[in-house]
Parts: sequence; structure tokens; C-alpha cells
Amino acid sequence: MNIAVLIKLVPDLVEELEIDATGTALDTTWLRLIINEVDEHALEQALLLKERGGGDVTVVTAEGDGAEDVLYAAAAKGSDRLIRLRGISFEDAPGNHTLARVFAAVLRDLEPDLVLTGVQAHNDLDGSLGPLLAEEMGMPYVGYLSGVQTEDGVCRVMKEYPGGLAAEMEIALPAVLGIQASEEPPRYLAISRIRQAMKTATIVDREAEQPDTTGAPGVISMFTPEVGEAATMLTGADDEVAARIVEILSEQGLL
Amino acid sequence: MTYEDVKSVVALSAILAAFGVFGFYLYRLLWVRLRRGRSSGPFRDWAERTKGVVAFVGGQRRLFRFPAPGVAHCLLFWGFLFLFLTIVQALFEGLLAFNDPEFVIPGIGEFGPLALAQDIAAVLVLGAVLYALYLRVIVKPERYEGSHQSQGVMVLLFILVIVVSLLIMNGIRIERGVDDLELWRPISALFGGLFGGLAEGTLEAVEETAYWIHLGVVLLFLVELPMGKHFHVVTSIPAVFLRNLEPPGRLPAVADNGDLGVEKIEQFRWRQMLDFLTCTECGRCQDVCPAYAEGLPLSPKRLIMDLRDTLKADFDGPAESPNGLVSDEVLWACTTCYACDQECPLFVEHVTPIVDMRRHLVMEGRMDDMLQEAMANLGRYGNSFGQSDRARAKWTRGVEAGVKDARKEAVEYLWFVGDYASFNTTLTPVVHQTAEVFHRAGLNFGVMYDGERNAGNDVRRAGEEGLFELLVEQNVKSLSRSDYKAIVTTDPHTYSVLKNEYPPGVNGDRPVLHYTELLDQLITAGDLVFENRLGRTVTYHDPCYLGRYNGVYEAPRRVIAATGCRIVEMPRTGDRALCCGAGGGRIWMAEGEVEKRPAEMRVDEAARLDGVDILVVTCPKDYVMYSDALKTAGLEDRLVVKDLIELVHEAL
Repeated sequence: MNIAVLIKLVPDLVEELEIDATGTALDTTWLRLIINEVDEHALEQALLLKERGGGDVTVVTAEGDGAEDVLYAAAAKGSDRLIRLRGISFEDAPGNHTLARVFAAVLRDLEPDLVLTGVQAHNDLDGSLGPLLAEEMGMPYVGYLSGVQTEDGVCRVMKEYPGGLAAEMEIALPAVLGIQASEEPPRYLAISRIRQAMKTATIVDREAEQPDTTGAPGVISMFTPEVGEAATMLTGADDEVAARIVEILSEQGLL
Repeated sequence: MTYEDVKSVVALSAILAAFGVFGFYLYRLLWVRLRRGRSSGPFRDWAERTKGVVAFVGGQRRLFRFPAPGVAHCLLFWGFLFLFLTIVQALFEGLLAFNDPEFVIPGIGEFGPLALAQDIAAVLVLGAVLYALYLRVIVKPERYEGSHQSQGVMVLLFILVIVVSLLIMNGIRIERGVDDLELWRPISALFGGLFGGLAEGTLEAVEETAYWIHLGVVLLFLVELPMGKHFHVVTSIPAVFLRNLEPPGRLPAVADNGDLGVEKIEQFRWRQMLDFLTCTECGRCQDVCPAYAEGLPLSPKRLIMDLRDTLKADFDGPAESPNGLVSDEVLWACTTCYACDQECPLFVEHVTPIVDMRRHLVMEGRMDDMLQEAMANLGRYGNSFGQSDRARAKWTRGVEAGVKDARKEAVEYLWFVGDYASFNTTLTPVVHQTAEVFHRAGLNFGVMYDGERNAGNDVRRAGEEGLFELLVEQNVKSLSRSDYKAIVTTDPHTYSVLKNEYPPGVNGDRPVLHYTELLDQLITAGDLVFENRLGRTVTYHDPCYLGRYNGVYEAPRRVIAATGCRIVEMPRTGDRALCCGAGGGRIWMAEGEVEKRPAEMRVDEAARLDGVDILVVTCPKDYVMYSDALKTAGLEDRLVVKDLIELVHEAL
């Protein structure tokens, strides 16, 4: 089983997000990138599949501050190959059309049986990367999964629905899967294991194809939403806000 | 063949058999077992070690921390040493019976004052044994919970029988008029008097019976020694002699063979194994353990007993994983408060094996979700709060007089602020007052702003050695870029790790000070003068990493006194202070099912003191833990928690 995992880096929300002078993108001065949380689950799911049925896990990401750490961490957890695409950086917030095309170009050479990626990212809540990639690769796609099992070229997946429903589905391989949650929570990785991996693992740099950005909508302007009139926003220090909430709740007779 | 010949043959066989069994177990335990452990040492400083043996074995110093049992044990120990010669006498009496039925050790056995001393020793030992039996059978203190109680009682009865049979033997000899030293043995004479009026033949029969009982029980005791807790009779001297002389705040380095953490029993150092074999099951550690008191599954005593059982059990087969015996829950329950280690009369270490085994759990990712998140945050942002490292010195905005950046301009005092003071908003007023007090005292001080990371004390004790090394590297980088004469911190955890575990070259001989030490110095030098005398009655909580780990007890008390406050001590004070429950990474973990949190027990203890309405703390974690505990214990109207700096600030 040849499993590929795509990992996106997204802006870390612990830093305040600021819009740059063009008004169409985030200011990268204070930007810090972090692994897309759901992609950690995709990686964990891939490792679980490998542990259960054997196989080979290849992790693919692009450039960006912290990409190396993410790849070494993946190696320390048990991934077999690490690929970083050069010439395309998450700092420039590439669109999913672009990402799907450059990732697909690499994946074709790998001939994966299974491509796993996080079903969404906080800068991509509609989760279009997986479907776009599947289209590029000519593979089926199913997303919002919380479990994957493979046997004899057939893949069974658990898909979650709102209202507490779940379904088991069968999908032919090769396929692209959008993972919502891995079967086990992503494992903790001791720092010394990452440091070990830094000494032993190799990151393969691949030159990305000239990014084709067609098909993606362009950003006209980026801004923080106006506060709606019906809502009262509480601002200030945490304890002041907390005190005000208590006050309001008592005024309403709820406390 | 005369009776005397038979006596010699039987005594010889019994003695050979008993010493054979004893020697065999000694070989298996102290040679075969310990040799499988990792290397220990180097053990330097022989003079200090010898002094330790004199004080802690000879003087039994730590035993007196529990006064009555301490006295009883001391009497048993010294009494038995005096009686040792009577046992030697009994052995030779049997062995040489064929030659001289009335054999006495030449010289020693004819020395009157020694006979008197032995008679007195016998009485003291009897008294101590009876008290110990009363303690074990009637009082049954909680600390014996989980110990081999019947073994303890059995050995006490052995001693009782050995001493009584000795007195009867000696007494009857006086009664028979064959003891040249009868005037030196008044107690024996009393026992002999019990048999007054019996015929000579009967007396001799009783004497011989007493002899066989005496010899038999002595040999039984010898065979029993290596079987359980009484093995400490053999191991206590080497254990105390080879005890760890490093500061308690300095954990031993990880194994040089690449093993990160201990999974199997043979991965312990042999010195740790000696500890496992030395445990007397006295339960003093359990008695002072906050996790045990809280109802968590950890008892430091049981932990060591379990490790001892594993060590002894795998005589032939492959070693069992100690984690099969010591569950993850037990290992994660420890706050590393050091109360157990400090209480152990024989210097058995509990914290180091726990950290060793935690290291293995961390490598396997076997830990609480919250701890996992805290570790990930510490790795990423250098703080457990998951906030940006850039926001670390945000609190400085509230300091009117400003705070220098020690990386950019020279300062005298580099203030290592620590995570809790930096990020916990409950503490912001306290941190601001600290800065104000420093300014008012005219200190030239600065902080490292976003160059500071969590100092790593609790990360290391939670077993994340790699993360600890990473944090040290990052801090060392900032420290070496800063120009300062001394480090000061308000956090005892930070204080301890900087002082004891950072590479010695980083700080050189520049002192690391807890702010209570600095304030104490400033007050003594007249640089900090108080205008107001507060006149309050307060109590003071000693933080584990300031008190037990680093011996700072007086400086904070002197500062409190200087503000014009009167201290009423809690029952558990100084090195007996109860841990708040936050140390060793516990503050990052889910509490689990507990009966009563240590912090609640502690505020309860403070609230019981007459006239005290302030609980003074000198640790940011204590401030948070106790402020919270006051609320959950419903003691908010009774008591307030104040950082020492708040008193100082108010008194200025």
C-alpha cells in the first residue's frame, strides 16, 4: 500500500492577523505558519494504516517557515519519504487550484494507492483541496472521514453526518480521502525523537511546476467583518469581559 | 556421644545451613541483581559519605522526624549492637560445647561492665519491641497501609524471643551459681529468680531449652533478613554511604547508552536497585505524599516495593517491564515535591525512578491529553499557555517606569519572569508590584522579553528530556546575549532549575536569586526601607522548590517580619510543608478523581490558625493554586492569598 499525505501550512491564529497594504492578503511580517490541524489527523490515519497493514507513507508539503520541522516530525512518527515542493510557498497563500495542480504533478510519479489530506483548513473551510486534487488525478474522492480500512484493493471508510449519523462506505482504489479525524488522536512526539529524525531523515526537494493559478477566484479586498448591530461585542481584559458576562446573565435572571 | 557433642554437631549444622541460605541470597540480590543495573557514580567525597553513615545510621538522625518511633528504633538499633556479642557468644557456646560446655569469649565475656551494658540494652530493646508491637498491632498508623505487617510483627516477636531467652539463659546460670559476673547482671538475675526453687536438673533443662530457642530464632532471623523489609539491616550502611550527594534539584543525566527512560528493571542504575532492596516499608514517604493524601493511586512506598518485587522476581526469566507493575497513572500522579525522598531514613530515592520511567512514557507518547497539549505548546511557543512567544512580555506595558531589555542594555539584575507570571492574568498585578518594588529599591534590572522561554524545571520532571534540552538551548542563547550581574526570579521552579541544572558555564559564578533572597539582602543593606508596619498576622507556605529543594526557609520569613507582620506557622511547615499539587508537570494534567486536592487541604490548614487571615506565598503557581482552592473550599471570607511582594509593596 502506497499512501501519500498532503500537508498544508496555515497561519497560526495565536498571532494577530493583520492585512497588508494591498488590502487583499495577510501581512506576512508577523505571520507564523503552523501545520493544518486536520492534516495531523490525515498523517496519523496514514500511519495507523501502515501499522495495521504495512505500506509506505510519503508526506508531501510545500515551502514555508516550519515546513522542515513538520516533515521531520512526520519522519519521526514513522513516515518513509519526505517531499518538499520548491518554488511554491504557503507564505504566499497559494489557492487550492494551484496547490492541487502542483501536488498532482508530484503524486503522479508516486502512483499512490491512497492520498490522504485534511478535509479542511481554517483558511479553507469548504475544503476544496481534496476534490480538486481528485479531479486532477482522475480519482474518486470522499471526505469528512473518521476512519479508513483497506483490504485487497478495497477501501472502507467511515463518514460522519450531522445529527449523530455515520455511514460506512466503500471506495475503489486509488482514491483521495479527506480526513476529519483519525481513529486515534495524533500521537505525541518527544522532542528527542524529532531531533533524532533531523539527523537521519532526508527531505527530498522537488521543483514545483510553474504554478497554474487559473480557475481560482481572486481576492478583491480583505477586511475584518463589521460588527452587526444586533450583537453587543464585549471588549477589554479577560476578567473585565468575564465580569460583564456574569453581570448580564444576572440581569437576565439566568444566574 | 555425649549431649555436649550432639549440641556441637547440631549447632554447627544449623549455623552452616542458616549462613548458607543467607549468603546465597546475599549473592543473588547484591551481586547477581545489582550487576545487571546500569552504572552508577562516580562516588566521590568519602569524608562526607562517612559522616553521613555516622549521622544517619549511627545517629539515626532522620528517624527522629517521627519522634516516638524514632526513639524506639534507635533503642532497638543500639541495643541490638550491644547484644550482638551475646549472639556471638551463643554461637560459639554451641559450637565449642564438646570441648568446654561453659565456654565464654575470652576477655569480652569476662568483662563486668559490658555484661551490665548488655543487661541494660536487653531491657531497652524489650521496651522498644513492646512499643513497636503496640504501634503495629494496636495503633496501626496509616503509613503502614500496604506494608508487610505480619512480617514486621513476626520479626518483632523474633527479637522478643531472642532477648527473653537470653535473659532466661543468663538468669538460670546465676540461679545455678555458675556465673562469675552475676553481680553485673541484675536484670538477668530477676529473670533467673522466676525459676527459683527448681531442682538443678530442671534448671539445666530449662537453660538448654532457652539456648536452643535462642539459637534457633537467631538463625531464623538471619534467614529472614534477605526475604523482605529487614534486608535494610544489611543494606543500610552501603545505601547511606553511597547516597546521592548532588543537590536534590539536579536530576541525574540520562543514560549514556541512548536509552531515554526506563522501561525494564535492568535499565535502572544499580544504585537505584540498592534503594529498592533497602526500603523498610516504614511508610514515612507515604505519610507525607500529597498524591497519596489526595487519593491518587501513587504511594511512594508501594512504588519502591513494587520495583523491589520486580527486581527480585526475575531471578531466572527475562525482566518484566516495571511499567507492568507501576502503572502510568501512578507515575503521572507524582508532583515531585521531594517530601518522600527527604523523609526516608535511608535516603531511598523515589523521584528519580519516577522521572526515569516517565521519560519512557513520554517517548511512547503515553500521557494525558492536557499534558500533551502543554508540551506541544512549550515546544512551539516556549510557554505552556499556547500563547505567542512574542506576547511574553506584554505585561511590561503596565509598568509606568518601564522595564529594560537585558539583551539590549546592561543591567545588574536579570529578571527571569517565568511562564506563570508572564501569561497568567491573575498574576499581572503581582508582577506589576514586583517591578514597582524593584524600581523603588533602585535596582537596575531588565528582562529578556520574547527571548525568554519556560526554564524547563517541570518539563524535565515530566520526563520530556528533549524538550528540556531545547528550552535550555533557547534560554542559554538569550542569556549569553544579555549583560547582567545576577539572575533574580519570583518562581521557585525557575530558580531551582537555573541554579542546579543549567550548564555551569552559562551563568558562571553570577548568583541566581529568588526574589525573597534579594529582598532580604536589600533590607539588610538598608536599600529597602519600609515606611509602614503592617501589623498583620499571617502564615507562610514554603514552596517545594524553594524550601525542600534549595533550603531557602529563612529569607522569606525575615522579609515578612520586616514588613511588620507576625507569622503563625502551620502545623506542616518548613521542610514538612505540604505541596500545593502543581509541581512536576501536574499543573498541566487533568486532576483525575481525587478525594480532596492538596491545595484545598493546605488552605484548610491555614484557615484553622487563630487570628491568621493572610496566606503568604512566594511562588506564582502557589498563588494561582491557593486562590483557586480558597474558592472551591469556600474559604474566601476567611482567608486571602497574598504574594510576599504585595506585603512588601504595601509596607513601602
